[in-house]
Amino acid sequence: MPAPDADALQPHLPGESPVLLSLKSISKTYITGDVSVPVLHHVDLEIYDGEFLVIVGPSGSGKSTLLNIVGGIDLPTEGSVSFQNQNISEFNEQQLTRYRRENIGFVFQFYNLVPTLTARENVIVAADISDSPMSPDDALELVGLSSRVNHFPSQLSGGEQQRVAIARALVKNPELLLCDEPTGALDLTTGRMILGVLGNLNRELGKTVVIITHNSAIGQMAQRIVRIGSGTIAETSVNPHPIAAQQVTW
Amino acid sequence: MKVLHRKLLRELFAAKGVLAAIISIIAVGIGCFIAMSSTYDNLEYSRKNYYRLCHMADFSVELKKVPIGDLATLTDVPGVINILPRIIFEVTASLEGVEKPLSGKVVSLPAHENAPINSIVIKQGSYFTDQRQEEVIVNDAFARAHNLRPGDRIQLILNNRLQDLLIVGTAISSEYVYLIGPGGLVPEPETYGVFYLKHNYAEDVFGFEGAANQILGQLAPEFQNANRVRQVLDQLELNLDDFGVFSTTPLEQQSSHWFLKSEIDGLKVSATILPTIFLIVAALALNLLMSRMAEQQRTVVGTFKALGYSNQEMFLHFIQFGLLIGIAGGIFGTLIGYSLAGAMTAQYRNFFEFPSLTNQMYPRVILLGMLISVFFAVLGTFRGVRSVVRLSPAEAMRPKPPLRARRILLEKIQVFWNALDFRWQLVLRDIFRNRTRTLGGLLSATVGAMLLLVTFSMYDSAFALLDFQYDKLLLSDIDIGFKDDHDYSAFYESQQIPGVDYAEPLFQVGCTLKNGIHEKKVGIIGILSDARLTIPRDTAGARVEVPQTGILVTRKLADILQVQAGDSIKMIPVSGDRIARQVPVMKIIDSYLGLSVYADFHYLNRLMGESSSLTSVQLKTNPRPAVTRQIYRELKQVPAIQSVNSIRDQKDKLQEVLVEQMVVMIVVVIIFSCLIFFGSILNASLISLSERQQEIATLRVLGYTPAEVGSIFLRESLCINLPGILLGLPTGYWAAKGINIAYDTELFRMPFTIGTMSWVYTVLLGILFTLISHWPVQKAIQKMDWLTALNVKE
Repeated sequence: MPAPDADALQPHLPGESPVLLSLKSISKTYITGDVSVPVLHHVDLEIYDGEFLVIVGPSGSGKSTLLNIVGGIDLPTEGSVSFQNQNISEFNEQQLTRYRRENIGFVFQFYNLVPTLTARENVIVAADISDSPMSPDDALELVGLSSRVNHFPSQLSGGEQQRVAIARALVKNPELLLCDEPTGALDLTTGRMILGVLGNLNRELGKTVVIITHNSAIGQMAQRIVRIGSGTIAETSVNPHPIAAQQVTW
Repeated sequence: MKVLHRKLLRELFAAKGVLAAIISIIAVGIGCFIAMSSTYDNLEYSRKNYYRLCHMADFSVELKKVPIGDLATLTDVPGVINILPRIIFEVTASLEGVEKPLSGKVVSLPAHENAPINSIVIKQGSYFTDQRQEEVIVNDAFARAHNLRPGDRIQLILNNRLQDLLIVGTAISSEYVYLIGPGGLVPEPETYGVFYLKHNYAEDVFGFEGAANQILGQLAPEFQNANRVRQVLDQLELNLDDFGVFSTTPLEQQSSHWFLKSEIDGLKVSATILPTIFLIVAALALNLLMSRMAEQQRTVVGTFKALGYSNQEMFLHFIQFGLLIGIAGGIFGTLIGYSLAGAMTAQYRNFFEFPSLTNQMYPRVILLGMLISVFFAVLGTFRGVRSVVRLSPAEAMRPKPPLRARRILLEKIQVFWNALDFRWQLVLRDIFRNRTRTLGGLLSATVGAMLLLVTFSMYDSAFALLDFQYDKLLLSDIDIGFKDDHDYSAFYESQQIPGVDYAEPLFQVGCTLKNGIHEKKVGIIGILSDARLTIPRDTAGARVEVPQTGILVTRKLADILQVQAGDSIKMIPVSGDRIARQVPVMKIIDSYLGLSVYADFHYLNRLMGESSSLTSVQLKTNPRPAVTRQIYRELKQVPAIQSVNSIRDQKDKLQEVLVEQMVVMIVVVIIFSCLIFFGSILNASLISLSERQQEIATLRVLGYTPAEVGSIFLRESLCINLPGILLGLPTGYWAAKGINIAYDTELFRMPFTIGTMSWVYTVLLGILFTLISHWPVQKAIQKMDWLTALNVKE
């Protein structure tokens, strides 16, 4: 086990690397029947290649919607999203599918594993549709699950399930890992372990990682923190001293 | 195997109970389709081959007597390509050791070679030899029934003389695939046969030197549609006018062909209707199941789409469920269908005499069955998963918004609603909120009940026919037919036979009835005005007195001739002076066999210029077997008798055949109907169970027992199925009525009746099936892990 400090990420300043994705004046309003619920108002955000970004906000602040728009699983009502200079907010269904398939890895709060598939099979499901996937076994090894590959989700602990979910996101070799409350359903120890895995992927494989969470403590390990509240970005800050995942506490 | 396929198989396995129920419904539907289509093909191929093998006639002309030399010009009639004159007579026969007088048809054949039209297929022995004139080939079914072999002898009364003939062979022929005697409905090979004689021998014994009384003919292919056949026959009738044409019979109306073709065509219709019913029910059940399955996998769908799976890929994945279910249904359906076709074909072998009637496997039918199965299964699946697969990934990953818990309509009737206990309120809310499921259940119960009622009504109708024919219309025990018209002494003689309690004469006149352009060849039966053994009835079953003048006409014939009571129509006898007479139609009566026309015995005699001629005598006899045997012995001594029909035996035989067939059919339909109830209820209840796990868990926490929870589901089932069953009653009534109308033909009609017990049994069976189907649901409730259900995340 390496020393905690060695696990900490290096500070990463905006402009140090190119912009991977940028949101310009994004708004989103949900319309259910006669009711329209505005969730995001004119949000501007840039995500840099290779950075570890944490978006923090309370429940209902619009952070999940923001993540969904970044990941191409939801579209903004207004504004534009460009990924590597392509305006994905104008993509059709097919182009969006391809965008998600080639560039995005999702990790969800409740893991969203297929209960009838083993850990390995859950990872293969993602590898199957990728043009240049990682070996599923390598992906599982990267998250430290080599010994549990043939277990079904119901036979795995919450932390193990989340690691399978990370391996599944990772196996496609995406540019961007989007994690929606990845530790939300986990205890502190397991949560730290998951954060450690994500940190490693950022540091060792150079993956851009975006975590959204209501837990501001996670921001301590990020290179950059975006605070969101009531559908707008309240504050963006650079973390000059990211700490190791093992030191994060809540 | 791809990972997604593994997911598919595991999920299918997890839902095995419900899937088995759905697959069973599909399999039964496809089974019916394959069974009926294969049996149709078995029969139709055999029929076609057989007709080809025997050079089946396209028509026949029955006449009094025609010199063969005068027939040469018939082939000049456009369309006629070949003709064959024959001698054909109804005769009686006797066999050593058989007390009952036997009847049959004598048919002449060329002495040396098989006939060019309606040839025979030798089954045992040989064709005629040159060794003697008195040779006979008997039809194989008759030979089997009496254990006759070549070398045995049989006595036939030919032209009033008893002739002892040597059986040289047994044979079958395409013209007697379904052989029934006069007035019969089912083949009775024990009492009625076909006896083939050498043509020159028949000429000798019947005094028909160089003459014939039947002409068979074949038509050019382009003349084989009904209209053109009619034109040719009209022309032939005109050409043969001098020789007393009794009737012209196109193949379509030939008795054996008619029965065979009706059965074959009926199979085709059934092969469409019955499977469709099952498959629609199955598609609905599958639709519900797949909607639920897709709904349960909402998050999985969302996740897959977030990973980069496209709508099409997701669709394809779920459609594979339907595909596999369809294939499974198709495979099981093929197995069921093929075995059922074997059983049906074997059953047909008892009625239809073919050179070979075997059960074949038809790849075309199986492939079609598979495609239909897959189509319905995929259709059900497609409709079920469409809405979920179309959701955007973000929306799919959000839990389904809670149902908009609006009040149902019944809640607004507060007096009623407040009077209900909590469980009834739960039941009614669930029924009204899940409209698709409720409608699906309702439809299944309706269809199940309809099937039952239609089958019971067929049973009722068949026995009403039997009752009408033998307990209301024909009350005699034995009917004796004479060769020619006889005077009244024949009646007195019959009356004197020991054991005969009562006798009545009948005078039958073959004639053409004509009303403007509408005409029909029929036989008018003259009965005594106070007849006790033949009693014409009206639609209500009440006796209709035979009028002093005029005729009583069967409803079906009245429709064909477009006549009503009070009209006057032309009657042209087919023999005798053949001068047209005007006869008034006095009343319309009901009958179910043939196109009967009745008149007063003496009136008909006067009309024909006779005093008291008769053609047959009906006997009411002492039923003791010894007396019957004595009567038979006496009748055998009378050469003038052409036929002896035991009406009692005919009724028994018909009853036996009907009961046998009906019981099998009823059992099969009850099983099928049960399957529909079972599949539909199990599916709907288990889906409801999985949707309401938390609700059930909460009830269990509150202290409800599994039985109490089960009672909620049972009430729901009953609330949906009872109205469904009740709806099935009028639906069944109209379906049965439709079938009844479809079977309304010139030869044969069914009385339309549904007995009280049929209604009762339908409802009771429907309720019973509902209760039986609840059992696995109750088991599932007992086994439910409600503690886990309580902790399910939303």
